Amino acid sequence: MHNVVIVGAGPAGLSAAIAAAAAGAPVLLIDSNPRMGGQYWRMAADSLENQIDQHYDLETGLLLINAVKARKEIEVWSNAQIWSATHKDGVNTLRIIHQDNEKIVNTKNLIICTGAYDRTLPFPGWDTPGVMTPGAVQSLLKGHAVLAGKRIVVAGSGPFLLPVATGVLKAGGEIVELIEANKPIRWLKSFAAMLENLHKINEGYYYLKTISTGKVRPRFGYAVVRAYKADNDELDSVDIAKIDRNFNIRKIKNIKCDVAAIGWGFTADTSLAGSLGCKQIVAEDDGVVIWADDKQQTSVTGIFVAGEITGIGGSELSMAEGVIAGISAAKFVGCKVEIKKAHIKRRAKKQRFATALIRAYPIKSGWKSWLTGESIICRCEEVDLNDLKHAITELGATDSRTAKLFTRCGMGLCQGRICGRSVVDLVADNLEISPTDIDRIAAVNRPIITPIPLGVLAAGE
Amino acid sequence: MSQSEIEFTYNDQKITAVAGQSVGAALLAVNIRSLRLSRFNQNKRGIFCGIGVCFDCLVVINGVANQRACIIEAKNGMNVQTQVGSNA
Repeated sequence: MHNVVIVGAGPAGLSAAIAAAAAGAPVLLIDSNPRMGGQYWRMAADSLENQIDQHYDLETGLLLINAVKARKEIEVWSNAQIWSATHKDGVNTLRIIHQDNEKIVNTKNLIICTGAYDRTLPFPGWDTPGVMTPGAVQSLLKGHAVLAGKRIVVAGSGPFLLPVATGVLKAGGEIVELIEANKPIRWLKSFAAMLENLHKINEGYYYLKTISTGKVRPRFGYAVVRAYKADNDELDSVDIAKIDRNFNIRKIKNIKCDVAAIGWGFTADTSLAGSLGCKQIVAEDDGVVIWADDKQQTSVTGIFVAGEITGIGGSELSMAEGVIAGISAAKFVGCKVEIKKAHIKRRAKKQRFATALIRAYPIKSGWKSWLTGESIICRCEEVDLNDLKHAITELGATDSRTAKLFTRCGMGLCQGRICGRSVVDLVADNLEISPTDIDRIAAVNRPIITPIPLGVLAAGE
Repeated sequence: MSQSEIEFTYNDQKITAVAGQSVGAALLAVNIRSLRLSRFNQNKRGIFCGIGVCFDCLVVINGVANQRACIIEAKNGMNVQTQVGSNA
């Protein structure tokens, strides 16, 4: 029997590994982090103080991680970076840097659980040191026991802002402002999904209780629209604006802070699945995700996906999908195992809640009005909005791909992971058209999955 | 220096960190927030995504440029420097 090969050891990958091993398949679990758990259950090294109060549901994470460690059928490669992946005649070839050596894995089956990262929107001053993502603030706390700053503004949209603000307060930090662009009333649109997932409401209540204990009063219908530098060129303050339903600015006030943690939900990391030829689609939130059937199989036979890369839905949906993907992959390599009705029901319930989340926290087009001509759009290549406009009005770019070639927007080291999604919207806006799915999917295609030092390759061949 | 403490240098300044911390986290802990100067405008940049996605926290480690400070674990005796442009 062949190995089931899984990429990513977050909620989806861990669940998939356990399900596949339980079905009798040997598993190879490849993860880029030093410790399992993914971003959601990010673990600090043993030498650091226990960060247990930074987690809401660490018990589940530890249960899964310990179950993976306990199973002899599961081999784990941590700190492993996949830099290239190709698919030919049904065989997937992964090129991996692991323990300073290049390793090549050839496999007919694969479960891809590469997760997601914070979605960001450009705004004037967002490249100032001190402006970061909520994910960065949380990872510094969970993984490194470091508080990002002394006076922290948490802003953007989505339920993730709550645990980040809670984490800062629990670590003894100061939250100067907690601001959410959308109004909580949007939740009423999805009353049924809330009722069947009451424990998530409890989780929200826990965060809000901790936040109010910290004397923080969250504001709804506000956004950070500009960051200012101090004399040392680091963050001095931000403008927070009352915004209308379409995110247009109504009224502005300036707030002193040394960290502004701003996130707008998440973007799926589809690079690996995309380079193997798995069909990509545009989700309800305009993000690109990997298409999967009800067995979690992609358009490529033998490649399965689970978790955030099939659509942003949180850890519980990721686990539900992971179990199904694990069973499907085990069956694919010859194990006698079937997906149970209970697995399908669990996934459907979590999916309804995920859909409710997406609808409760939309990102409206007015964010583009926050930008000035000099605002950096592509942080890597330092392309500003004027450069993008020039590519359209003077050079005749007719879509975001051409604008990218003219300006190098999205062609830097991050390969458009940060700006790609926004560039598609900005180019379309300047052309006075709506972005097509083709535009959005083209913006996430990347030849190299993780840039690695060339020396490692030279030494390996 | 306790057992889990390590020491490295940043632009020749001695930095003490806890084993397991990333270079970027250890520097932030002592309020060093600017890690590189951008290639074209020489603007200061620091930790942005914090999880290895954005490549904005690049530093030079033991003479090798383009190292992501947010995910590389700080090790005893490391020589870390501000990256100026592409440091090529």
